Parts: sequence; C-alpha cells; structure tokens
Amino acid sequence: MIKFSNVSLIYPNSTTTVIEDLNLEIAEGELVLVIGPTGSGKSSLLRLINGLVPHHTGGILAGTIEVDGISTADVKPGALAHLIGIVGQNPINGFVADTVEEELVFGMEALNLSNETMRKRVEEILDVMSLASLRNRTIATLSGGEQQRVAIASALVAHPKVLVLDEPTSALDPIAAEEVLSILYRLVHDLSLTVVIAEHKLERVIQFADRIVHINGQGSAVVGTPEEILMNSPIAPPIVELARTLGLKEMGVSVREMRRMTQEFRDSQEVIKGQVLIRSTKACVSVKELSISYNGKYAVNSLSATIYENEIVAIMGRNGAGKSSLLRAIAGISDNAAGEVIVNGINPQKLHSKQRRENIGYIPQEPSDLLYGQSVAEECKQADHDNEVEGGTTLTLLSQLVPGISAHTHPRDLSEGQRLGLALSVVLSANPHLLILDEPTRGLDYQAKRVLTKMLIDFARSFNRSVIIATHDVELVAELATRTIFVADGDIVADGPTIDVLLSSPAFAPQVSKIMSPQPWLTVADVVRAIEMKN
Amino acid sequence: MKKLSFHPLTWWIFSGAVAIAIARVNSPIFAITAVGVMSVIVFTQRDDAPWGRSFNATLKLSVWIIAIRTIIGVLIGVPIPGTTLFTIPTLPLPNWMPGVRIGGAVTLERVSSSISEGIIICAILVVCGAAASLTSPHRLLRVLPVYVYEFGISVVIATSVLPQLVFAISRIRMAQRLRGQNTRGVSAFKRIAIPLLEESLARSLDLAAAMDARGYGISKKRSKYRPIKWARIDVAVVVAGLAVVALS
Repeated sequence: MIKFSNVSLIYPNSTTTVIEDLNLEIAEGELVLVIGPTGSGKSSLLRLINGLVPHHTGGILAGTIEVDGISTADVKPGALAHLIGIVGQNPINGFVADTVEEELVFGMEALNLSNETMRKRVEEILDVMSLASLRNRTIATLSGGEQQRVAIASALVAHPKVLVLDEPTSALDPIAAEEVLSILYRLVHDLSLTVVIAEHKLERVIQFADRIVHINGQGSAVVGTPEEILMNSPIAPPIVELARTLGLKEMGVSVREMRRMTQEFRDSQEVIKGQVLIRSTKACVSVKELSISYNGKYAVNSLSATIYENEIVAIMGRNGAGKSSLLRAIAGISDNAAGEVIVNGINPQKLHSKQRRENIGYIPQEPSDLLYGQSVAEECKQADHDNEVEGGTTLTLLSQLVPGISAHTHPRDLSEGQRLGLALSVVLSANPHLLILDEPTRGLDYQAKRVLTKMLIDFARSFNRSVIIATHDVELVAELATRTIFVADGDIVADGPTIDVLLSSPAFAPQVSKIMSPQPWLTVADVVRAIEMKN
Repeated sequence: MKKLSFHPLTWWIFSGAVAIAIARVNSPIFAITAVGVMSVIVFTQRDDAPWGRSFNATLKLSVWIIAIRTIIGVLIGVPIPGTTLFTIPTLPLPNWMPGVRIGGAVTLERVSSSISEGIIICAILVVCGAAASLTSPHRLLRVLPVYVYEFGISVVIATSVLPQLVFAISRIRMAQRLRGQNTRGVSAFKRIAIPLLEESLARSLDLAAAMDARGYGISKKRSKYRPIKWARIDVAVVVAGLAVVALS
C-alpha cells in the first residue's frame, strides 16, 4: 500500500538529514507504529506519506514514495485526499468548520462527492466513531477526546485506504486514549485500513502494532516486529523494561502475555506493601473552599486541600476536570477564584516580580509561552539577571538537565523536551518554594521523561520544596509522585499516597501494576526492590 | 427575540444596501439611525461565536476614527468661514503649499463638518461590521464558488486563527506574569509579541496544510451536503434593503 524506496530527506538550512535511504513497505491492513526520540523526524516521515513534506514545507527529497501506486512527487497533497486521511498533532489547529457535521463533510464536499454518498457516509461514521450525539455541537465546546474523535472521523469519512495519525493520544486521559485506540484497532481489522501512527506513549499503543519503524535521529531507521525492535531499543515502555529487568527470554507486548510470563515472580512472595512515606508537617500550600466559575459553570467547586513541603503531588483527572483551573488558582493568576489560597503564608495573587519567582515557579502547558529570547544563551542570561544569581547559573542548570544544547540555538528550533528543559532551568534558577507543572510530558520521549523525573525528585528532596504536577501520564505519576489527587467535576474524589490511589482504579493503574497485581508494585524499580529484599 | 437562520449572503446584501443608502443620503442623522437599527438586529440575532464580536470591535474602532478625524480636520485643512469658536496659532508653511493651513481660526462649521463626515464614514464601517457579526464566515465560504480558492483559505485561517490568538495572548501574558515579568509597556510588548507571532505562523501553516490534505480546491466543482437555500425571510430582508436604497 505504501512504499518508500531509497528515501532521503533534508530540510533547507539544515546540515543533518532527517531520513537517510529509508526502504519500507507497508502492506494493506497493517498498523505500523513510528517511534523515535523527540525531534527525530517522526512527523516528517508521516507527512511524507501524503506529500505535505516536501510540497508544503520545502526540503529536498530523494527516492520515491508510492501510495497505492501513485508517486507523491507527481501530485499535490490534495490529489491524494481520497486515498490518505491525516490527523495532525493538535487536531484543534486543523478544524475548518463550526460544527461537527460541517467538519465531517468538508473533505467530501471538496472532493465533489454526490449528496447521497455524503449522507450515507456521515451517518455511518457518526455511528462508527460514536459521535451521533455530538453531530450539531460546536467543535470549540468539545472535550479533547471528543475533538480527537471528530478529527479522526473527518479523515475517515472520505473512505481513505490509509490513515496517518501524529500522536493521537498525547493530549488525552487514559480512558479517552483507550477509546480512540480501540476504534482504530477495529477499523484495521474490519475494513483492512492501513494505519500509521507516531506515538511517544508506547505503553498505550504497543499491543496494537504489527510493526515498528524506529527512527534514531541520525537519519537511519530500523523496521521490524515490536518484539524485535523493543528487545534492544533505548525507547522502552515499562512493560519492556520489566521483561528486560527480570531477564525474560521472550518479550510480551500486552499485559496478558506478560502476566503469563511473570507468574513465578508474583507468586513467589506474599503480598507486601512497598515504600513508607515520610512527609514534612509544614504546609506549603493550603487551599480552602476554592471555587472557580466560568460563565456560571463551576470548573472548581469548593475544593480544600493542603500540600506539604517536600511532597510531589500529581493531580489527575479527565480532560476538562478542572486541573488547570486549580493550578492557576494556586499560582494566583485566576481572576474569578473565590475562596482562600495561601502559599508559604502569602496570598499568591499579591506576589510580584522577584518575590513571585522565589515563591512559585510555573511551567505552563506550552513551555514556550515563557520564552521570548532569540537564543538559549540570551534566555539564560535574562534569568540570571532577573534572579540576581551569578552569571551562567541557568546555563549550567540547563546543561545538567539536557546536555548538548548549543547556546546559540533559537528556542523555537529546540525539540519539545529540550524546550521544556530550558523553561525549567529558567524557572528553577530562582529556586522557588513551589514548582507547578501543567502537563509537562506531552511530546516527551522516555529518555526525557526519565531526566525530568530524576530532576524533580532531586529538587524536592535536596531543597525541601513542593512540586505539583497535572498530568494524564500514569507511568510518570507512578515513578514520580508521592501523593496523588484525583479530580472530577472540580472536586477531589480521591486523595492519598500514589500507590493507593493508582491501584484503586484499573483504568489509571500503570502497566507494571496490572501485570504484577495483586502485588502492590507500581514501577520496575518497585519490583526490583521487592525481589532484592527477598533474597 | 428568537434567533432566526439566514442565508449567509442575506445580511451582507442588506448591509451593502444600507451602506449605499448612507452614502447617498449623506446625513449624519440618517447614518446614526441606520447604525441604531443595525445594532438592534445584531444584538438580537448574532451568533455567540468569535466573529459575533466584530460588531463591537468596529464600534470601538469608529469612536477612535471620529476622534482622530475631528482633531486632524480641525488642525489641518481648508478654512471654512463661519462662527469662530476659538483660534489656535497658525504654523507657517512654505509657499508651494497654497490653500493648506495648520492651525488658525476654528469655526463651528469646520468642527461640525469634520464630525458629520466622520460619522458617515464610520456608519458604513459599522454596518459592514454588523454583517460580519451576523454571518458565519465558514458558512459564507460554502456559498462562494471554488475559484476563490486562495481567498477561501485566507478566510478560514483568519477566522479560525485570529480568535485563537486572542486566547493565546491572554495565555502568554499569564505565563509571563508567572515568570514574574511585567506585562505592560514596550518591553513587555516585545516579550508577548514574539511568542505570539511564532505561534500564529505555526498555526496558520498547520491549518493550510490540513485544508490542503483534505483536498480543498482540488476539484473544480464542489458538492453541497446541505445546500443553503434562500428562505422567504431572506427575500424579505433583501427586498427591505433594496427599498432603502431606492428611497434614499
């Protein structure tokens, strides 16, 4: 269905090739997963399939790419619209109509399909993607998961033979992600649709993949079955790490397979409870009866909580549960918050300039919002100057966090992970008492996540600081957080040590705990510790 | 009042007619009346959507235009004789600029003619803003022919990306506040403008790529899922508009 022959790609003004001499053939009805570190060219590979690269982006392409016998070099991307459906990283950026139904028909109208065909297909796709109840809704009012489904539906409705998705689950909570993926899985099996997905959160998709394309960032790519690729890849979801650590001969990619293989490790010991939590008794944040409403709707509804020093608190919950609103209120920038928030004995709304930087550090969903310098060096110098620390402090911090960034690079040219690293260094150079991160792991690979985890734990331990992190990433929470607060409809539904909260809900349980249940182990490290304790 | 559904061209035709009438009658009283009528229509019928706010935006813009025009009209221009209100010193100008004068006697006639001209120009602007407020640009795009391809892409980008940018401004300002930075003044403008510009470019490119990938503009003909039809109410509005032109 898709055939890459000797494909090389290089962007203008760049010295490194994105893809070098790639040969790849994808058969009809295959689900292929593209993995690689951030900034390695996964998105470029996906957009090569329908010719958006290089038709839309520029760049030099060598070799040929054929989709269903048509070479992408010969036609414009639009001429392949009937053949390939593509869903970008941020579906909201690609919507062209006001309502769900209008969005669905946009592509079909452009292809000049007859009215009867369109009517049939709209009804069909509304059912397949369970969107029937949303057909007349305005797209802007939908939740993230619903928007993702609309984006996939509007790509599928033209009956393409190939569907290309760029990180379809990165912004979704675990349940919404599961929903989207199971629909894709069904389409592959029922309609023999060919699907190409790029995704960082392998734990979510690995079990559905037939083959993996691993791009290593230096231009070369390896293709193989999930087992082959993951055996030796530095990119490994917890499930694979577990298999490696336990020294299993074979590798399972689903919880079911792995449970069979790890029977002996589970049964060989009694159910023992893991780490004990020691937490400071000094409160860092205290929230009392906090309510935030937008246009009469409550985003946060009389919520009370206390967060102590040296705690790392994860805030979890569905898309639109009020996580970001809560974080903004704690940071003191919510204008319509009622109730009381105290950070370090101060009302955070009264914090300004230096005092603010020293009390609260905040990393927003888009870390680049914080950045405005023309180079990494300029950004770091500004932070040194603002925080009255010795020149070079921020840059040193950055090089510990993400080594190998040239100081002359423009922040826009950094990869997602590097940009987050830069924003973090800028914020941490003030050594704030409280660090707040809103969804920091969108688009981060495992390597970057490990660095982030280590760094946040070090920060909290060595300076006795508190960290609050809102995220959908259960694996990150398992590795990082000492306490988890689960929010639904603007109120707390569960609050306690991470282990208790995560284990009480199967949808939010990390992979290792699903495999090792009933043992209360959340991470590979927990398993290792338990086995060592026994020996 | 209940919201009615109109053909996307209805209000543009009506507004065009009213604008022509305003220009033909050339009376500030008529212009203000027309703006009043349009306001009533807009406030009862507009969509609760980003473009719905364009009427308010044109109103604000108009106030500025009238103010600036009046000041400039009073300072510079051809003198109109009449009742002198006050006199400001005259700036000497070289000989090769006869007839133009800066400063001098300010007459009642000069002020009132400046203001009334301003009102008429702004009324035309506001009436167009009203049409924009009352019509979804995406629906408008669907009734326009395919050969306005480039225009279509621009319209969709402008109407989808601009409202998102308003969001982005507040988001970036908030982030900068959190970094403990001042969010007012010239240097703050630079700090906000740079990420904003980058984001708007990235978003526009994303959207153009998405439209392209979905085959927009590939087929010369474009089918219609739900053809937008002219209803009786549309005809009534258009006839009313034409009547206004005829009577003016």
